[in-house]
Amino acid sequence: MSLKDEAAVVGVAVARAEGADAQLAMPDLAIVAANAALADAGLERADVQGFCSPSGVCDHGALASQMGVPEVSFSATLTSGSGGGAGALALAAAAISGGFADVVVTLSRYESAPRSGGTGPNALLRPPPGAAASAYGLSGGPGPDGALSAPAALRSYGAAAALTANAYLHRYGISREHVGRWVVQARANAGEKLSLDDYLAAPLVIDPFSELDAAPGIATSYVAAVVTANVERARDLDQPLVVIAGAATGGSPINGAPWQGPAELVASSGHRDVAADVYGMAGASASDIDVALLADDFSPWVLMQLEDYGFCGVGEGGTFVADGRAVVGGTVAVNTHGGNITDAFARGVTHIDEAVRQLRGTATNQVPDASTALVTGDPGTMPLSAVIMRRA
Amino acid sequence: MGTFEHQPPVTLTDPAADDWTQGFWDAAAEGRLAVTRCSSCGTFRLPPGRFCRACGSQEVTYETLPGTGTVFTCTVVRQPLSAQDAAGFEEYVPAVIDADGAPGARFVSAVVDCAPDDVAPGMKVRVVWDRVSDALSLPYWTPE
Repeated sequence: MSLKDEAAVVGVAVARAEGADAQLAMPDLAIVAANAALADAGLERADVQGFCSPSGVCDHGALASQMGVPEVSFSATLTSGSGGGAGALALAAAAISGGFADVVVTLSRYESAPRSGGTGPNALLRPPPGAAASAYGLSGGPGPDGALSAPAALRSYGAAAALTANAYLHRYGISREHVGRWVVQARANAGEKLSLDDYLAAPLVIDPFSELDAAPGIATSYVAAVVTANVERARDLDQPLVVIAGAATGGSPINGAPWQGPAELVASSGHRDVAADVYGMAGASASDIDVALLADDFSPWVLMQLEDYGFCGVGEGGTFVADGRAVVGGTVAVNTHGGNITDAFARGVTHIDEAVRQLRGTATNQVPDASTALVTGDPGTMPLSAVIMRRA
Repeated sequence: MGTFEHQPPVTLTDPAADDWTQGFWDAAAEGRLAVTRCSSCGTFRLPPGRFCRACGSQEVTYETLPGTGTVFTCTVVRQPLSAQDAAGFEEYVPAVIDADGAPGARFVSAVVDCAPDDVAPGMKVRVVWDRVSDALSLPYWTPE
């Protein structure tokens, strides 16, 4: 028994707020997004029975109350600060499959936090203003274990990610040009022009990352809302039927002990177990995937996941990208909307939205006749996550 | 600014030691590199944690290591990451070190007294100590 084909994605919307409104208090922006996604689905607020989200998006009680949802029969969030929207969507599918609810709204957000301090804009490479040097528990606390790694002076998520990225790049001899070819492709997917020379000329902040390798902090806040419904109910709605064919969350919790464990696992995206689980549930393999929306806070994450999801062999992610196989018309179209590195550290906010648009045939950078899409959550802390959607 | 060239901007003065990490800091104050080892099954573990990940035991012993190792991975911080690091900023090299004598345990620290661009995975290194106070010495690594 599994949740395969039990739930369908029936509505999506992304609400954005810029300028002074970018700090719009939650749950206001979530309500705007949820109502727009319900309209996309042809459903009403009164149809909603459940809410799911990654950690820290908003309080579901306040959301339901202000949104005017009469009764909630399921509410869940992922643990950890990462994992992304894919895992939250997995929770929604589980709720529907398990009979807790027929209609569930999944919310994910990116909260604008423009960086100050004169050291540059990138939110992932640098710690938030005023944050203790101990951010991410890797730099001297809090706590006794953190003190042992204090001499590294890791200040940011980006500094920790750089150690993992370099373990991978060095192990397989993958060059900055390989990674750069992906960044150039991602920019092209987003409709932006960047040359490989420009990429290579960008000053490094934390090897191997320049500003172009990490999802930027921007002055726009986002909430993405995804409405899922029992597949029987979904058949009566207007949108093309997009079912959740497989979902997985978890992974090896080596992140509780950073860089410990088998070298090959440390030098990977950590997604191999999740990949096996999601493919197993969906009865699919890499060759079935038409479009892959891969979590990409940092550019090398895409190469690593191409390997760990079986699109190429381990260590071949660089040449796979450089050979032009990760594009529309190639082996698999990857991050056809550009992804987080062209947009914002958005926890995959836009990845699910893009997957659904591709399967409906309404994406800007459309994969011809796309029928199966993979969406992944961030490498980083457990639980990692992935969802496979299929046009029925 | 630090004891060594390319020393990271570390401000730790109190390691907040508990029963599982005190042994590391006691040895460090004497200039010895020690690692947590499960008293029950012998598994080395870093960070020390409160439980052995292999057998669940909470009993630990501290084993003194030779103080040599190999760079597993590293990075170079090229720009100050926060305003507090800006004054007198020097590039530094966070690194994860496979310690000789403790298979399966990696130290998270930095490589110092070496041009940052010369540090790479596979480099042989040895521990050096920055004596912050009588009670606190911090371990860094430098090429052998």
